[in-house]
Amino acid sequence: MLLEMDAITKSYGSVAANKGVSFKLRKGEVHALVGENGAGKTTLMRILYGMETPDSGMIKLNGRPVSMNSPMDAIRNGIGMVHQHFMLFSSFTVAENIVIGREPEKGVLFDRKAAAAETVKLSEQYGMPVDPWKKVGECPLGVQQRIEILKVLYQGAEVIILDEPTGVLTPLEVKELLLAIRQLADQGKSFILISHKLNEVLEVADVITVLRDGEVTGTVKASESNEEQLSRMMVGRNLVQQARAGIQIGKPVLELAGIGLKGGKAKALLDNITFSVREGEIVGIAGISGNGQSELLQVISGLCAPDSGSVKLQGKEVAGSPVHAIRSAGMAHIPEDRYQWGVSKDATVAENGLMGHTKRHQRLGILERKDIRAMVGEWVSRFGIKTGSLATKAQHLSGGNLQKLIVARELAQETPFLIAAEPTRGVDVGAMEMIHGELLRRRQEGGAILLVSSELSEVLKLSDRILVMLEGKMVGELSAEAATEEKISLLMAGGKAVV
Amino acid sequence: MDQLFDVSLFASALRMLAPILLAALGGAICARVGLFNVGLEGLMLVGAFAAIAGNYWTGSVAAGVLLAMICSVLFSLLLGYMSIHLKANVIVVGIALNFLALGLTTFALRAIFNVKGAYYDKNMKGLPKWDIPLIKDIPWLGDLLSGHSILIYISILIVIGLQFYLFKTVSGFRLLAAGENPTAARSLGIKVSRIQYGAVLMSGVLCGLAGAQLSLGNVTMFTEGMTDGRGFIALVATMLGQSNPLGVAAASLLFGFMESLSIRLQGFALPTHFTMMVPYVVTLIAMFFFKDKGYLQEARKSNESSR
Amino acid sequence: MFSLKNIAQSMLQPLLAIIAGLAVGAIAILIVGGSVGETYMEMWKGAFGSFYFLTNTLARATPIILIGLGVALAFRAGFFNMGSEGQLVLGALAAAVTVIYLPGPGWLRMIAGLLAGITAGGIWSAFAGWLDARFRLNLLIVTLLLNYIATLFTGYMAAYPLKDKTGSAAMAQTVMLDKAAWLPKLFQGMTLHAGFILAVAGTLLLYLFMKHTVKGYEISMLGGNPLFAGYGGVQRGKLMIASMFASGGFAGLAGAVEVLGTQYRFLDGALTSPGYAWSGIMATLLAGSNPLGTALAALLLAALQTGGMGMERNTDVPLEVSSIIQAALILFVSAKLTLSFIKRKKARSKNGSAV
Repeated sequence: MLLEMDAITKSYGSVAANKGVSFKLRKGEVHALVGENGAGKTTLMRILYGMETPDSGMIKLNGRPVSMNSPMDAIRNGIGMVHQHFMLFSSFTVAENIVIGREPEKGVLFDRKAAAAETVKLSEQYGMPVDPWKKVGECPLGVQQRIEILKVLYQGAEVIILDEPTGVLTPLEVKELLLAIRQLADQGKSFILISHKLNEVLEVADVITVLRDGEVTGTVKASESNEEQLSRMMVGRNLVQQARAGIQIGKPVLELAGIGLKGGKAKALLDNITFSVREGEIVGIAGISGNGQSELLQVISGLCAPDSGSVKLQGKEVAGSPVHAIRSAGMAHIPEDRYQWGVSKDATVAENGLMGHTKRHQRLGILERKDIRAMVGEWVSRFGIKTGSLATKAQHLSGGNLQKLIVARELAQETPFLIAAEPTRGVDVGAMEMIHGELLRRRQEGGAILLVSSELSEVLKLSDRILVMLEGKMVGELSAEAATEEKISLLMAGGKAVV
Repeated sequence: MDQLFDVSLFASALRMLAPILLAALGGAICARVGLFNVGLEGLMLVGAFAAIAGNYWTGSVAAGVLLAMICSVLFSLLLGYMSIHLKANVIVVGIALNFLALGLTTFALRAIFNVKGAYYDKNMKGLPKWDIPLIKDIPWLGDLLSGHSILIYISILIVIGLQFYLFKTVSGFRLLAAGENPTAARSLGIKVSRIQYGAVLMSGVLCGLAGAQLSLGNVTMFTEGMTDGRGFIALVATMLGQSNPLGVAAASLLFGFMESLSIRLQGFALPTHFTMMVPYVVTLIAMFFFKDKGYLQEARKSNESSR
Repeated sequence: MFSLKNIAQSMLQPLLAIIAGLAVGAIAILIVGGSVGETYMEMWKGAFGSFYFLTNTLARATPIILIGLGVALAFRAGFFNMGSEGQLVLGALAAAVTVIYLPGPGWLRMIAGLLAGITAGGIWSAFAGWLDARFRLNLLIVTLLLNYIATLFTGYMAAYPLKDKTGSAAMAQTVMLDKAAWLPKLFQGMTLHAGFILAVAGTLLLYLFMKHTVKGYEISMLGGNPLFAGYGGVQRGKLMIASMFASGGFAGLAGAVEVLGTQYRFLDGALTSPGYAWSGIMATLLAGSNPLGTALAALLLAALQTGGMGMERNTDVPLEVSSIIQAALILFVSAKLTLSFIKRKKARSKNGSAV
């Protein structure tokens, strides 16, 4: 046995992230670690990589106990990690990024030529082509992923941890990555693959360990398992299918025509985007993140003015209008990154809940604090938001509770149009079902919702119509009935539309 | 116009350049590791005072300069401890340190020299001037380049040294990495806080030298708050030079020139109030050519999701 | 919501900082060979020892409170307005000029003078805000640079066009203002003037404004997370210019109040050499931008300053000890920020960020 993690326990305060987790890895094996958000996968791997110390438990390498007190210890022991958010220096060259930490030296000087040569050698040895002199910031995400793996290999890793490696990749890039993993495994490298994409896991892994609520619910051979079995092990029960009752679709609420946004680069960020969202309809936008979805939402919500085209909300032209004008014309917005856009961490729950509601709860510019407390208090009880009090600071809330607060706040705007961007990112299953239920109810009431999500399953579950974005363009439209994961994936990757 | 732009004007620009340049380099190295060092002004002031005090006690200029460096380093250590170790807001700490520097030097002026406002001793020796052999005999060029305080030549060497260090050495490369993406650097086992401390202490040394040049080079005296905003002008030089040693040198040269021009203009019939404004106005105008990162990016950084 | 424990906790930090600051001051006193007990006794007497000294301290606190309030407002919105000094002197000059040249009854000229002070300080400050909002110039540095330009400009005005040529003294100052336009003294024979009432009123107003109004809410959200504020429809540019105007307006009012209540003329250096502006910024930092706290901190700083003068009169310990104490205070308060940070970190790990 190359690596053994034995009865690892780790708690954050009262929350146990890992409860007696054991995990084994053989040489040349691809071992997947699957589970819901918050199941404890990432914590376990951070412990292995020396970024967290376990409360109890033991790590053995080749049968010998080791202690990982820092990433340096892990690297020294031949363990490398590719993080979900790439750990790259975008203004540095590819070669610099690969050799950093163990730079080839000439006296005190950094021998950049030798670094480039090493990079070329490495990339040929493992069949992963890169240009050593290119700036990392100019490389596509798939190449950046490759650079991360090469960096780990350069550090002499025998065990490579990949944390959600395919989240930002195009389907083609995913194929290449999975292929590369297999090849490296055949050359004797061992992989731990953290993922929640079961089809990819089943395709590439030899063994799969499932975590739920910090505990191992089972370890199975990939060849003897299937998606249904794994989902059951992950969730612990069969998920209730929320029924999407049919509903009369009404007149258009949001209409986009020919939206273009240039941005600094040669390629347009948004290119001639035209679509509409009607009453009683959820329109889902699918696509690999970074294909213009964020920019599109910024244009619609007024955070960024488009260079061309028109945005009509309730028949009123709002392209380039300031946020407050668009909001009062009838928009609410669940933002894609709750910490950046959705809250002020130092402000209280009540203050965070007030944003966008000030108009209704004031007289002559004076806030009606009692009304506001009643309003936010009602959300807290209805959505089951766990908070000490309304005066608790937002930063003390967990991600899921914060997201519920934001969703409650935006739904309570009671606008005809709602943007829901990544509405369930990083929240637990319970909160996810609740948020989905609320969105569907709003649709039932005749609301128009624009859903943007990088989770295909979410888009498929909620949308009446699905639009696919690629490189700033709309490359396809599918009705809910016609849409399948395969068709969307193909469109996302730039394949031809087969509607 | 002959009277205005003559060789001694340019020579005095070089003299004015050194304190700004040295402090700006300190600012640049801090900026490179992600710390906006607003405390340059205070560090410089402490250095200026310590240089005079050291010289007064030992009678040696070298000891004065050494003490300037030591005191500024101790002071910068405080900045580092509060902002790196205790994670206090670096701008707030910088402002607080400027107050502390002003209070301490004013107090020490009173406690040590028993004077208010300024200390001046006509017998005190300033920094030695260096007459460069051969060059000093070249007309014009000799007047321009030769005969300056030794710190001016040292500051130019430091520019070259720093440029070389940052962009050619392994340790400089890691310093840049620590500033560009601290999380990533940490994940590679690079000791980011240690590098940050190093940078802050280095800025202490440089500001100590800057202060010494101010109190022992340009004049031989210490007056209360004698840095007079040079620390902030240096900060602008840092920004204009994009924290690149050569760029910082070019920006500092501009500001040094403006300062000497402002002194020169006093010889003309203009009211001194306006001539003294020149460096600040020019600095302000220069800022138009530097695009600040802007609040959006700052906010994005400080509100990054915890994942 | 406001339990006794909370109040005790929020008082504890500044109290500890004050004790630590006094301890540092004690070391400084020992260095210069003074007796700590006696010196602090004299300091106390100098600040609060008699009704005269008390009112004197309050008079000194007046401009510091006003400036501190302005800075607190800007800091709350997330703007490092370091330009109080320039806004102060411009406000003072504008008030003096208005009262000198405006015809009409005294009370009208006084009010016009105060308004002129607010306007001048406000515009100078809003100009810096505009440069940031429009051209993205770093506000902290711009406001610092504008200080030098403003003080030199007012110095020029007092030394040349507006110079009082009637007096024999060769000082850079305007003529004495008409007595009818002076701010009334609150007590016969004491330095304390009606400006103090303005400062107290300003404190309460700002406190209520921040706590109870929509704009106050928007300002604190902007300071907390500008992206969130923008997403929610707060207009940063407009709010920035408005709050910078208000911030500078407070400083300008401080200048006007000093001219109309204490100096009765604009005298170059009379407002800059006591360091009112910097004391105001210090008060804000000490109080963490809370309006009520800022006023208290301003009072504390003023007491340290007037107490320091008393101390210098009656002991051999130099006045500068009090600047050491003030600086040490700031430093220890920055460490307070830190303590709350550590607490925050603990709380976060307690709530579990096991994502």
